Amino acid sequence: MRLQHLLLRLPGYLGALGPPRRLWRSRSLNSISPVGSWRGQSSRSPAHWNQVVSEAEKIVGYPTSFMSLRCLLSDELSNIAMQVRKLVGTQHPLLTTARGLVHESRHNLQLRGLVVLLISKAAGPSRVNASQNYDTVSGIYSCQRSLAEITELIHTALLVHRGIVNLNELQSSDGPLKDMQFGNKIAILSGDFLLANACNGLALLQNTKVVELLASALMDLVQGVYHENSASAKENYITDDIGISTWKEQTFLSHGALLAKSCQAAMELAKHDAEVQDMAFQYGKHMAMSHKINSDLQPFIKEKTSDCATFHLNSAPVVLHQEFLGRDLWIKQIKEAQEKGRLDYAKLRETIKAGKGVTSAIDLCRYHGNKALEALESFPPSEARSALENIVFAVTRFS
Amino acid sequence: MASRWWRWRRGCSWRPAARNPGPGSRRHAGPPGPRAAPDPLAQMPCFSLVKSLTSAFPNVYTVSRFHHMTPAVCCCSKTQSGEKYTDPFKLGWRDLKGLYEDIRKELLISTTELKEMSEYYFDGKGKAFRPIIVVLMARACNIHHNNSRDMQASQRSIALIAEMIHTASLVHDDVIDDASSRRGKHTVNKIWGEKKAVLAGDLILSAASIALARIGNTTVISILTQVIEDLVRGEFLQLGSKENENERFAHYLEKTFKKTASLIANSCKAVSVLGCPDPMVHEIAYQYGKNVGIAFQLIDDVLDFTSCSDQMGKPTSADLKLGLATGPVLFACQQFPEMNAMIMRRFSLPGDVDRARQYVLQSDGVQQTTYLAQRYCHEAVREISKLRPSPERDALIQLSEIVLTRDK
Repeated sequence: MRLQHLLLRLPGYLGALGPPRRLWRSRSLNSISPVGSWRGQSSRSPAHWNQVVSEAEKIVGYPTSFMSLRCLLSDELSNIAMQVRKLVGTQHPLLTTARGLVHESRHNLQLRGLVVLLISKAAGPSRVNASQNYDTVSGIYSCQRSLAEITELIHTALLVHRGIVNLNELQSSDGPLKDMQFGNKIAILSGDFLLANACNGLALLQNTKVVELLASALMDLVQGVYHENSASAKENYITDDIGISTWKEQTFLSHGALLAKSCQAAMELAKHDAEVQDMAFQYGKHMAMSHKINSDLQPFIKEKTSDCATFHLNSAPVVLHQEFLGRDLWIKQIKEAQEKGRLDYAKLRETIKAGKGVTSAIDLCRYHGNKALEALESFPPSEARSALENIVFAVTRFS
Repeated sequence: MASRWWRWRRGCSWRPAARNPGPGSRRHAGPPGPRAAPDPLAQMPCFSLVKSLTSAFPNVYTVSRFHHMTPAVCCCSKTQSGEKYTDPFKLGWRDLKGLYEDIRKELLISTTELKEMSEYYFDGKGKAFRPIIVVLMARACNIHHNNSRDMQASQRSIALIAEMIHTASLVHDDVIDDASSRRGKHTVNKIWGEKKAVLAGDLILSAASIALARIGNTTVISILTQVIEDLVRGEFLQLGSKENENERFAHYLEKTFKKTASLIANSCKAVSVLGCPDPMVHEIAYQYGKNVGIAFQLIDDVLDFTSCSDQMGKPTSADLKLGLATGPVLFACQQFPEMNAMIMRRFSLPGDVDRARQYVLQSDGVQQTTYLAQRYCHEAVREISKLRPSPERDALIQLSEIVLTRDK
């Protein structure tokens, strides 16, 4: 109860919210032939995605929304929330991250934890464990629930650490230096605190293989975030020349590794054999990849251009577009889309949409979606497995 | 807890130029202040001191009578093993050859710049103080247990892991403190920027966790993950401050334990767990590490006042500039209550840092802190002396002296 109260008050602390980031929502899209056999839900609104998630949450027994925030709001460290509050009115990215966490969590969008729980349930107890007396709630072992929480903690920790600013790149529009320094300080400490909680949680699982898996997932994630940082904000908007295969490697690190290894670890906790662990890994990996591609595609598929969102020049459709075109032509297109040194994103978007980048990104998204579904086939049919399938359908849906 | 300590301090007559001499005159071995609870054992001031201090931490060890009361440097490093007197660093380094190369192997990733940043402090120029303690403790415990001088690979791993966890926390601390130099060179954040520096710290931590998992011992994993939590909580403690003078000292000691001593204590405990099944030995190792760790930090805080920048490799008065009131300052504040206001505003006004520094150097803050460090070293030596004699055990005894007498 106390946790609910705190969470209800948090948005007030964090100040007025702008339009929330809805990374996971699928919007009304042009109709393109769907992946697999979709069971007839034709709603086009965001409610559709939320429905998938809330169905899934019923299956695992409780809302997974508040996972990573739970430890941030414990009695001892309620001062983190207080410290973040001091950042209201500044431009430090931590504030945006915090708002995003709270806002998204109210709408059930902490997906990694949910997927780990679902796959735990879908796999069920292993033959080895069938006789053992582990406590299960809704068919999921408590250690697997812990693991789901740990996964969210690691994800959130790096989300927070992504929001550090380089002090020597600040401009006067960013506000006073000391605000940014303070924001950095709190961001580092909060992220470290989340990581420390994750490590403690891992230690409590008393399984060294799981610790190794998640620690290596963390290492992958750090490298992935590093690549993200390096790829953005270059001069003249020209990003590194990476082909789609490098993009896939880097995206696996930044988005796929955590979920894949976490799913595998969930299987290990239930003492499933290597084959089952591998299938869980594959599901996690491919689902995460298709989700990332879906998210990258949003700026190119929305019908409403009033959003006039910028997009990352190292996102999937752009990288594919460049690969088809060749580097020189791509650089030429970027230059043409620039006006007095500022990039006209709307113009560049049209240029990209006219090429093959968008359609091949959609194909790639579906490819990964299909691989995820394939991996699921080795699990026995169940509500949980259907929920996992529905998640794949939702992220590969572009209509 | 610390209130007893303060009242005893006020009672001591050998403290010069006291502003508030305290009720009545006191002999050196006199009882504590009038408000102290009646306690026959408190007749020995040093006893109550140690009792107050050691009761701050959960692992309370029954304190027996202290024999030494002099503030002089303790010299109880009598080698009992009959073997040749050796420098503890040399003895420890025999096992640590290739320490930094091995750490770099753990950081083997494909991303060049990130790798370079993570390896930056593993260049062989650090003191490697923690790994040395770890390997010496490992051998001392092994010998105690079954007279075997061999060290297990897993124990050596702990040495690497301890150094990696320590370095990861340094990298993050430097960003938090906006530090520009460490160990005589520029900090990671100054060269590559804050964003990448934070990621480098996370990378080192993840590598340490992988190495820890590979040892394959769940108890050891639990022991060392506690350190990671303590490090973060220690930083949080540093963010906050206490109004009450008495609470300040307890707060300072708790922060010192979490930020510095916890790593050493728990690494020692981890190697003892790997080497020996006896829980008493684990406790001895832990207590040694804890006491040496606290002493180490106290001396570090002293050196911030007494040393000069070149020797330290980092700028001095660093703590004051960060708004931190360490041991010497807290003691000095006893004599110069006008420091209270400065402490509470964390030395933020211009001129505060210099004034505070002057007060400290005029007071006996440095001597008091050094004396306190000696008490902790005494306790460490007392603990480690319970182990079977060996060159490594004696080296550990010697090491605690070196902690007191180092100048950087």
